Amino acid sequence: MSEIALFGNPNTGKTSLFNHLTGSYEYVGNWTGVTVEKKVGLLRDKKNHLIDLPGIYSLKPLSSDEDVATLFLLNEKFSKILNIIDASQLERNLHLTIQLLEFAKPMIIGLNMIDVSNQRGIKINETKLSELLGVSIFPIVARSGKGCKELLNSLDSNTSKNIESFKIDYGSILENKIEELSKLLPSNLNISKRWLAIQYFEGNEQVKKYLQSFIPENCLQEIYLDTEKQLITTEALSSLTKFIHNKRHQHIKKITSQILVKTKTTKPTFTDRLDNIVTNKVLGIPIFLTLLYITFMLTFDWLGFPLADILDGFISGPLTNWIMALLGLIGASAFLESLVIDGIIAGVGGVLVFVPQIFILFFAISLLEDSGYMARVAMVMDKLMEKVGLNGKAFIPMIIGFGCNVPGVMAARTIEQPKERLLTTLLTPFMSCSARLPVYALFVGAFFVKYQAFVVLSLYVLGIVIALILARIFSSVLLKNETSVFIIELPPYRVPQIRTLFRSTWDKGKGFIRKAGTIIFAGSVLIWLLSYSGPSGFDVPMNESFLAMIGGIIAPLFTPLGFGTWQAGAGLLTGFLAKEVIISTMSIIYFVPEANLQAFMATQFTPLSAFSFMVFVLLYVPCLATVVVIQKELNSKKWMAFSVFISFFIAYVLSFLIYQGGKLIGF
Amino acid sequence: MVLTDLKQGDTAIITDLSKVNILVQQRLMHMGMIEGVQVVTKRSMPFGGPLFLESHGQNISIRRNEASRIRVEQL
Ligand SMILES: Nc1nc2c(ncn2[C@@H]2O[C@H](COP(=O)(O)OP(=O)(O)OP(=O)(O)O)[C@@H](O)[C@H]2O)c(=O)[nH]1
Repeated sequence: MSEIALFGNPNTGKTSLFNHLTGSYEYVGNWTGVTVEKKVGLLRDKKNHLIDLPGIYSLKPLSSDEDVATLFLLNEKFSKILNIIDASQLERNLHLTIQLLEFAKPMIIGLNMIDVSNQRGIKINETKLSELLGVSIFPIVARSGKGCKELLNSLDSNTSKNIESFKIDYGSILENKIEELSKLLPSNLNISKRWLAIQYFEGNEQVKKYLQSFIPENCLQEIYLDTEKQLITTEALSSLTKFIHNKRHQHIKKITSQILVKTKTTKPTFTDRLDNIVTNKVLGIPIFLTLLYITFMLTFDWLGFPLADILDGFISGPLTNWIMALLGLIGASAFLESLVIDGIIAGVGGVLVFVPQIFILFFAISLLEDSGYMARVAMVMDKLMEKVGLNGKAFIPMIIGFGCNVPGVMAARTIEQPKERLLTTLLTPFMSCSARLPVYALFVGAFFVKYQAFVVLSLYVLGIVIALILARIFSSVLLKNETSVFIIELPPYRVPQIRTLFRSTWDKGKGFIRKAGTIIFAGSVLIWLLSYSGPSGFDVPMNESFLAMIGGIIAPLFTPLGFGTWQAGAGLLTGFLAKEVIISTMSIIYFVPEANLQAFMATQFTPLSAFSFMVFVLLYVPCLATVVVIQKELNSKKWMAFSVFISFFIAYVLSFLIYQGGKLIGF
Repeated sequence: MVLTDLKQGDTAIITDLSKVNILVQQRLMHMGMIEGVQVVTKRSMPFGGPLFLESHGQNISIRRNEASRIRVEQL
């Protein structure tokens, strides 16, 4: 079995094509760079693997998600390149195509968005284009799957050979230097030397690192500077990068003049008309805030809450009764019965109740991504983000972070400026992810019945405000000498396909259900066991259990914050695994048959200490999965530790201020 | 004249990008916005926010201070 690599510009329909060719569904997004990980799928005919790479404009990387593509070419084994091109943006897309052709591996082109280009009155002579580039071209519509069969068949046939014929003449000066550099490379290299040389001269940092393993750095540097000097004097150009780009551009112009026919002039598109409203000077920000508010209310109030209620009724009513009956039937011991009812059902069930709300939230986020609106959000919010030293793109990871911090942190990769990316990664965990929602729901249900939505909204806003303040502080310390930059492509709006939308909601949400079956299940069993046993044996009163002892050790730490009980301590401790576990723990601890959990909690918390507790849960340490991903993304234990420390510190200070301040003014 | 001198809806040709931040310059290049190419300023965001530009059918947003470093010739 061999591997085929899928390359293309951002938003050209790569993910859609991937899904059509492999059958296994992947995450489809519409803002530039959603596909940040290497994803592998089995082609429908089960003969080859297809590898999805991040969308890139050029092989010369600017942001860290773009490194992936070059590193892939340098280090991985694969047999063929599949290049997907957006027919409605042919010229721009061909820049990448040329760089891939220069790599001189077998290649096939999928000419996508034929429907869009037809609509715009662009006709492309595919046969001629295929001749000029020396590779097969298949017109497709990845959205509907049109033409994908033919493409798939040709991927299998091993007829396509290496392409040697394609060559752009970069002019005698550069050509000589390319030759010179190639000669310095070992002859047994299985990567095209010409490609390596061109990429090096273009300024590809990853290629430079690769070349340094064969050629001393100063020697490399010398060739580069010499070439640049020669070109600048003869061609009056500012840089080598630009020179190469211009050469390619000329070549592309020559190609397109032979194959492009424009049959009609374009009228304002749907995107233009929608943008007139959505990015309107006055309405832009209010529209965004309204959309956020609607999302929030749908998740929390209008739709999510009643659904969660129904589910809760089912789990604590019929389901528990059935399982009790079943347990009775098989004659389970009191130990087993308690484990299942007080441990697993209370712990896992207490979390599963929130599945509807979490899916609604993920659905809304998928909708924002797939429609192309996310990039507009980045633009509309850029001014605010600039004020705190970041750029509008940082807003996207934060919104995704409302669903789950893990993909949020990963989404920070598309930010070009390393320091801005670092900051965004560190601040995304302050966004209140959906796993924290159950905690709020439990507490507002018990203490703030009248103001539920308002109290929860205030927590979300608090998370954002803290992140912005920290951004302001950190950027003036960390980013002193760096200029913040912002540039984003605004892709055309596309009506999301319902199927895609549901799949991408499911892809995001299934992790939550999986967690319920694994971490939370295991956690529940463990917590129950700790609460069931104590120094004096099994079935001890809760207050004499191991859990009470462990929670009791750290409880005094939280006394100044208003929740110095062993129960809260135990919940917070286990909550590091996953924030939902706090709820599992509380459900198990406060499990009082025939009594209402929320009524019972009222004996443990006051409204003030409950609020203080929620604020603490919002801010204190990111969950385990997020901490791991921060470490991976930043490749630094130091920053990971910093992230944990700073969030704990802020949580503590703020909860302290809220509780003590609240007491002072008489709450 | 520079890009920020244009009024909403004006079309111009880019004549010089060399003063622009290098990262932005390269991204613009990736998106096909180089010297000699047409741009339209479609609108700008409030409070001195970024500009919304169009260049042969694609939409791009950059900050005002970068835009003010792009020399253009109005059509
Ligand atoms: N009209 C039309 N829309 C398409 C076509 N192919 C993809 N799309 C739509 O274009 C949008 C972007 O497609 P994706 O598959 O997410 O593109 P991508 O290249 O993977 O994008 P990134 O991963 O963000 O780089 C989606 O809304 C698709 O439904 C096509 O051939 N015609």
